[in-house]
Amino acid sequence: MTAHIALHAMDEYEAKRLLASYGVPVVQEARVADEAAALAAAGAIGYPVVLKGCGPEFTHKTELGLVHLNLRDDDSLRAAAAQLRIAMQGRGELLVQQMVQGKREFLAGISRDAQFGPVVTFGLGGIFAEALADVALRVCPLTHDDALAMLDEIRARTLLGAYRGMPAVDRETLARILTGLSRLALDRPDITAIDINPLVIAGASPVAVDALVILQ
Amino acid sequence: MHSLQVLFKPRSVAVVGASRGVTPTGAPKLGTAAMKNLVEHGFAGAIYPVNPKESELFGRACTARVADIHGPVDVALIVVPAEACVQALRDCAAKGVRAAIVMSAGFAEAGHTALQDELGAVARAAGIRLVGPNTAGFVDFHHQFAATISMVGEMQPFRSGGVAFITQSGALGGSMLGRGMEDGVGFSHWVTTGNQADLGAADYLDALVDDPEAKVFALFLESVTDAPRFIAAAQKAARAGKPVIVYKSGASAVGAASSASHTGALAGSHAVFSAMCRQHGLIQVDDLAELLPLAKTFAWLGERLDLRSQRARRVAIVSASGGICGVAADECERAGLLVPELSRERQAQIRAFVPEFASVRNPIDVTGQIRSSATGYQDTVRAVLDDENIDAVLLLVTMAAEPRASFYGREIGALSQAANKPLVVTWAGPLSLAQQGYPMLGQAHVPTFESTRAGVQALKAVDQFGRLQRRLRQQQGA
Repeated sequence: MTAHIALHAMDEYEAKRLLASYGVPVVQEARVADEAAALAAAGAIGYPVVLKGCGPEFTHKTELGLVHLNLRDDDSLRAAAAQLRIAMQGRGELLVQQMVQGKREFLAGISRDAQFGPVVTFGLGGIFAEALADVALRVCPLTHDDALAMLDEIRARTLLGAYRGMPAVDRETLARILTGLSRLALDRPDITAIDINPLVIAGASPVAVDALVILQ
Repeated sequence: MHSLQVLFKPRSVAVVGASRGVTPTGAPKLGTAAMKNLVEHGFAGAIYPVNPKESELFGRACTARVADIHGPVDVALIVVPAEACVQALRDCAAKGVRAAIVMSAGFAEAGHTALQDELGAVARAAGIRLVGPNTAGFVDFHHQFAATISMVGEMQPFRSGGVAFITQSGALGGSMLGRGMEDGVGFSHWVTTGNQADLGAADYLDALVDDPEAKVFALFLESVTDAPRFIAAAQKAARAGKPVIVYKSGASAVGAASSASHTGALAGSHAVFSAMCRQHGLIQVDDLAELLPLAKTFAWLGERLDLRSQRARRVAIVSASGGICGVAADECERAGLLVPELSRERQAQIRAFVPEFASVRNPIDVTGQIRSSATGYQDTVRAVLDDENIDAVLLLVTMAAEPRASFYGREIGALSQAANKPLVVTWAGPLSLAQQGYPMLGQAHVPTFESTRAGVQALKAVDQFGRLQRRLRQQQGA
């Protein structure tokens, strides 16, 4: 699950397009070249938005200061874009995303086991994911029943039900995300790992907000 | 017929490197142990010792070379030093031998991978199926075929039954086999896979699923060398309705390193292995000591119940000790099993069998005073066995000295024989005071454990297997 800067990876936008083509709901977003295009994209998406630096070399965006959350208007977007210009030193593009609202964060992904080949992971996501290590695994290919069983296997499974005024999570969509990842892992042996983290639950619906696709 | 049939049911066996000698410590040499085990366990086919220095061994004529043997040879046991094994295998190939068990050590496990590769190449070219190298061998208990160098062969006669035991490690596997037999486990097969240059755990599982004598599988693995084949074999076992119980070492980094050096194979990620078990219906135990007792539970309960459709989720607990009743209820909850309160009618029925201060809701504490009734205990157990809201029964025996121990042994044995649902026992009392009664449970094939948790875990595994089999049938029906 740990990514290193030197890894060969898809940029975040390409990663999400690929995931979307396998049925993973992804955040509404636009990859743009400059500030003017970012303002136009934010207008289309609607505030608040997230502005990120985007490029295959930026695999640890938060640590590099390349993520600006919850931008509420044109002025704050301009200010964020100015900071990104300095941080990115002329490399890469900008990614304007809808600011997805949801307190529950999960993760989903694939990795490759030396003996059993591609493995799908589902678990508690967010920034503490590795410390909490609450995940369920399955060896590809996954059936829909396998995927549903994974949801019930994590310790934090009560978060998938109705919880503190939040509705029960759409389990069918979650299961389809996991079986989609399984198909993707089998179709694309050149992909060594995928991290979708966070997979935010917006209302009842899971949405991939950040994604990393690592290539051979 | 399965391609490994010749290995499991040979008509003739050659022992290349047969001996009569002992080592300086007095233990038999490998070539001696191999001959002794074959002969003393009563292999019915021809045995051909091969050793240029001997003319006769264990009452059989000894030849100098494999080529000198009169008559065909199905299987060769090879016990010569590692550097002589490739030539020995070539001799076997020329003779038309169809399977070889190479017991000699000194191959990949000792870093000599090139030698092992050469051995494998010779076997493949000749169409010989290879067990090992670095294997303690193979036993088919129902055909008295003990092709092993393990000292477990000193236990005579072997206890045969329905458990097929596949281990990578020969020394630990042989120890477990012997302890298992002491504990009443009956075996159909024992295979030690060794370095798996050709045949691996998946091949043995795949082949033995077809053997009607092998009813339950116990696997002790250090690594899985061919994951797709292993998964396919596990699925085949599930389709055949045969439980596969597995313990895999290598959970710790240290364990993984020692596994790699031991058999020359890589140990995989433990979490992925556990996930694969859940996915494909293998029952994984995380304590090696649970492996054979759980296999025994499936074998014994399977003699009178169809475990493929069995449930064991709703448990009735019966004991004369209120203390252990509470412990058992805790363990059930921890294991995800239920201890449902009995219906009012059932409670009223049981109330008539037990002392007035007994507790009859479930757990059922019949109290120590139950001994004053000749039939109260048995009637109580029968009542919960008859209850449609109960899937399984856990009986816990605490302090029971003879002759009370024999009462329990005899009556629980009889209740178990007539039971149409799983009944297991935890015997917590001192065994030295139950020297007649305690063994009666084993004789009656009642799964019996010394800890409360082990008894509960056994029921959990039975429930898990039944659930898995129902899911499988649903998928096939869908």
